[in-house]
Amino acid sequence: MKYDVCIVGTGAGASGVAHTLTEAGLKVVMLERGGFLKEKDFSKDEIAYCKRDIVTPNLKESYHTIEALENGKWVKTPTYVTESSFFNGNIVGGSSNFMSGYFHRLKPVDFKLLSTYGAIKGANVVDWVIDYDELEPYFEKVERLVGVSGEVTPYKYHEPRSTKVFPYPPLEEHPISKRIDQSCKSLGFVAYKTPRAILSKPKDDRANCYYSNYCGSYPCASGAKGSARASLLQPAVKRGNLTIITHAFVKKLVEKNAKVTEAIYIDTQTKKEHGIKADIFVVAGQAVESCRLLLNSKSKNFPNGLANNSGQVGKNLLFSAGGVGSGQFDAKTMPLKELMVEGLFVNRSLCDWYEVEKMKGGIVDFLFEHANPISKASKQRWEGDKLLWGEELQDKIFHKFTATKQLNFEVFNDWLPTDNCFVSVDEKYKDVYGVPVANIRIGAHPHDLKVAKLLAKKAKKVLEEMGAKNIRSSMSSYPPANLQAGGCRFGDNPKTSVLNRHCQAHEVSNLFVSDGSFMPTGGSVTYTWTIYANSFRVGDYIVENKKKWIS
Amino acid sequence: MKKTVTRRVFIASTLLAGTTLFLLPQGKTTPINIEPFKVLSAVQEVLFPKGLKAPSASEFGATAYLLNVSTHPSFWAEDLKFLTYGAELLIKEKSNFLSMTPKEQDEALRDFVNNNPKGKNWVSLLLFYTLEALFSDPIYGGNKNEVGWKWLNHNTGQPQPKKMWAEEIA
Repeated sequence: MKYDVCIVGTGAGASGVAHTLTEAGLKVVMLERGGFLKEKDFSKDEIAYCKRDIVTPNLKESYHTIEALENGKWVKTPTYVTESSFFNGNIVGGSSNFMSGYFHRLKPVDFKLLSTYGAIKGANVVDWVIDYDELEPYFEKVERLVGVSGEVTPYKYHEPRSTKVFPYPPLEEHPISKRIDQSCKSLGFVAYKTPRAILSKPKDDRANCYYSNYCGSYPCASGAKGSARASLLQPAVKRGNLTIITHAFVKKLVEKNAKVTEAIYIDTQTKKEHGIKADIFVVAGQAVESCRLLLNSKSKNFPNGLANNSGQVGKNLLFSAGGVGSGQFDAKTMPLKELMVEGLFVNRSLCDWYEVEKMKGGIVDFLFEHANPISKASKQRWEGDKLLWGEELQDKIFHKFTATKQLNFEVFNDWLPTDNCFVSVDEKYKDVYGVPVANIRIGAHPHDLKVAKLLAKKAKKVLEEMGAKNIRSSMSSYPPANLQAGGCRFGDNPKTSVLNRHCQAHEVSNLFVSDGSFMPTGGSVTYTWTIYANSFRVGDYIVENKKKWIS
Repeated sequence: MKKTVTRRVFIASTLLAGTTLFLLPQGKTTPINIEPFKVLSAVQEVLFPKGLKAPSASEFGATAYLLNVSTHPSFWAEDLKFLTYGAELLIKEKSNFLSMTPKEQDEALRDFVNNNPKGKNWVSLLLFYTLEALFSDPIYGGNKNEVGWKWLNHNTGQPQPKKMWAEEIA
């Protein structure tokens, strides 16, 4: 059996392509490492979804090595030692099942970082080969198909929109949002209403949000969250033409005469190896794992990995720079009855500093500390160096849960591409299937932290104005594992990029990479909306040119 | 929402009542030694004692929870080793710990933590899993009758799990 198209991965970057191709009548197969869990299977189980590696590979089965600078030397440490996984949701729909869905489009300036702000020493900043206008129709398509709710807030750096309003009205807001608005007003800041990839009204088979209060990190039991699975794949499966093979870990793409002929995968349940033949192959396993697959797909024509004679595969990996901060609220700042309202969203951001001090800046999102009682309670067991238990601990936990609420903020700014942030493979570190795991060198440019701190200052001003207590922030150069992009840059020059402007490999004409790997610079917002949009764009290109590959 | 106590949780709770016993979890070849669990259980009762506002460790099923989750492949093997090691260390230093009064046990544990950095890490880890037992869904064997959530008036997210470990519902 031969398919028209084989897609590796089922997350946001895979689903836009799958949706577009199956709609055009192409026969598509998707290979997913994990299982196919649906709304009926989902719960708000903190143990399974937040405390153990259940929807990600067990770290004894597969892992990453994290290569960090220690006393002037780059040292690799496996994640089964650090106990901190870099996998982000290995079930159908990928990590989009577990996102919070804070949705921001890139701004026009994000496509032209080099020509707008100039070079930065030690950073490999370039302009994109497409501009905002080329991606705009796809951002709009995501609003409709994935479902984005919100209200347009005008501000200085707002990106142009082809439609006036969001297709779904804003979600219900917590009383604290008005407090943020008031404080921003008196500070002269714009309180930007954060769009969310969460349905406020039903759509097709998906119910609207039911305000469970357990949203980020959890899969959505109503289908309201715009996961790749709920919004694009389940409808595509229903339409026909789409086959999803689960528990399929793809270890290698086989190449012949500069074309991929077969994907070799291991069924993780039976441990047996299988092959899938197709005319076109699309890789979308999230940046790190996509790079790993190409690097491990070595052949005579490609001794350094598939599509990697430029040596660019894995290079210029991106995360999101920034960090987190928080402030405490209690009855003195707000009536407890209002403060303790559960489930409703904060949905406010600061976007006024997308440019700051003539540098590219970023954004700040406000959100409540997650409801997760285990995580919240276990943080209370330490008072400095002192370990608390008995009555002391109980009083502290009781106060934390019943008399206070913590408003957090998250800073997002560009993670500059550098020579010290990349994916490589090392024969010394292999998973249980004997396949080299991805090594991630996590060097960060000091410029990132400088910008993050400027943004954190603005966020803290808002918290101060609101009367919050214990205001804290921690901006960090350590990468957030769930915000990955880059590693297979797109560009016009085959010597300095892996993919062309259509996200097709320069050297392998029937190979596409459609997750966030293509991004040469990351922008200062979470990636998901852009990844979805680009995935639809790649899908359109394949459909328009299908005769080139499919006989 | 209706939930059933799994067979493994049931066996684990029953075994606790015995003396030195071995539990052979599903799919595992190495038995878990129950003796250290008696020490862990006694320490958990010090961490969450009877007579305070919160339910006590035995009331919310702290040890039953630990016995249940520690047999699952997702449980960190190093943690299980360290929990066992710490229990042995405590008995080495405070040999009559199990026969002390609750007040004496509390003092002994504070002494153990203050004079032993490993002891402090161990109690911290045990406390971590005790808090998991108090606030996780009752399906895992702790938080009996949702007493942990009730104590804090915490409304858990819906739906609650019908199966442990995010398994598919048939």
